[in-house]
Amino acid sequence: MKKQGLAWLYAALIFSFLYIPVFVLALMSFNQSRYNTLPFAFSTHWYSLLLANTKLMAAVINSVYIAAITAVICVVLATALVLGLPAGRSRIRSLVNSLVLMPLTIPWLIMGLSLLLLLTELGFSKNLFMLLSGHIIISLPYAVLVIGARLADMDKSIEEAAYSLGANEWTTFYRIVLPNIWPALIAGGFLAFMISFDNFVISYFLIPSGSSTLPIEIYSSIKFGFTPEINAAATIILVVTMAMILLIAALMQSSIKNVFGR
Amino acid sequence: MKRKIMLMSPAVFMLIAFGVVPLFIMFYFSFLSNGPHGSFTLQNYTDFFSKELYLKLTAKTVQLSLSVTLICLLVAYPMAYIMAKIIRKGKGLLLLLIIIPFWTSALVRAYSWVNLLRDGGLLEIFLRNLNLIEGSLGLLFTQTAVIIGLVHIYFPYMVITIFMSLEKLDDAILDAAQSLGATPFTTFRKITLPLSKVGILTGSILVFIPCLGSFVEPRILGGVNGSVIGTIIEDQFFEIYGWNFGAAIAFILLAMVLASMGLAARFNKEG
Repeated sequence: MKKQGLAWLYAALIFSFLYIPVFVLALMSFNQSRYNTLPFAFSTHWYSLLLANTKLMAAVINSVYIAAITAVICVVLATALVLGLPAGRSRIRSLVNSLVLMPLTIPWLIMGLSLLLLLTELGFSKNLFMLLSGHIIISLPYAVLVIGARLADMDKSIEEAAYSLGANEWTTFYRIVLPNIWPALIAGGFLAFMISFDNFVISYFLIPSGSSTLPIEIYSSIKFGFTPEINAAATIILVVTMAMILLIAALMQSSIKNVFGR
Repeated sequence: MKRKIMLMSPAVFMLIAFGVVPLFIMFYFSFLSNGPHGSFTLQNYTDFFSKELYLKLTAKTVQLSLSVTLICLLVAYPMAYIMAKIIRKGKGLLLLLIIIPFWTSALVRAYSWVNLLRDGGLLEIFLRNLNLIEGSLGLLFTQTAVIIGLVHIYFPYMVITIFMSLEKLDDAILDAAQSLGATPFTTFRKITLPLSKVGILTGSILVFIPCLGSFVEPRILGGVNGSVIGTIIEDQFFEIYGWNFGAAIAFILLAMVLASMGLAARFNKEG
């Protein structure tokens, strides 16, 4: 029993370390003081400033667009890839697997820079297409892992039964496979959305001049100095991503572990 | 078979065209003297290895990444053990509580420490009220601040991977050891630790590699004291426009990443 108590105490310490900084950030975004000093006086001043800041709002809208397009494309690409991946221990399978996992192991700094060099070599200036491609590359592995895990858990005999009853491939996919894996498609999509929405590094290297995303705005404000408005923007990012992870967790339940298990 | 290849090909094409090919272009760039149309040279690499500044920075980056990895390991192992073997009932909730920050923006989390650590910030006020410190905290824009921020960001990777390997560990083996007279410490040293080696190694790699390539966190929390390989690469691209030299440093960084992965894979096999 004493062991349990100590264990909970340790867990509490860990969670204070993980959560106190972000809670303080969120709390301070509601503090009236410009320099985040105490005493605390409740105010939504910084949020109204944020909403009135057209440049920042444009960046938010850009981020949402980019993340949404990334998510949709990633889900489609990942589903096709997972369905096409040959079963068992084939050479193609392991090759494709390591190709998919590559963007997880190579630092985003390097991925972003190499795309920038690709642009230069091709003679293009920074454009939205390359930015999106970068976002898709780094988000794709997560979608593949989530959707692949779900498909692997699916009972293959149902699919075979459909075939033996005369259903063609498309009917089987539409009536059997899709209803079985849709939670994973949604979860994979949200995951890709999240990765893209708060990606800073790839966007920073590839964003066309004149446009911006929320993380880029946050980074430049931080560099510039300390503004409570950014506390408000950062709090919004926190709330959005936390809500999404709860949603994904609800959709995936046990399977979310598979994302980390490989 | 043909249809399967057709299904895979769009994703595979994307990964090759925008993942693999750019890396080769970066490699090619790193051997050019000047811009995209320069002539072949080894200058960029010899520059890096002949200047003490860069070697020092490399050592500093490796040291920083190792410290972060080690701290993560030491703090995360007990947590993972607690989740897998002691608090079994609440482990789903605990795992979720670890995963939530894992997925929230690293940029925002690094920034959240600025509020706490800066002079006149909340930690200073708190500690001063407890009469633990006098004067200013002086923590922001130091190496320590960078370490704190990076530990905060990458700690969940370590907990999750170690937790996974500990969860697979069969309790019957632990019970057997105990009943054969092994002390808890011996059981831990001879059974639990070796059997969680894969988790430790994977977790360490998952922390070490992004730390090597970090540049945002050192910038935000380290200021001028935060220079690491990542920030130097960024400077080359955005301040100095030494793209070819920048590409060479990026490639040296990539080589370090691949080397540490290879090393970990080797350790994994030996066990």
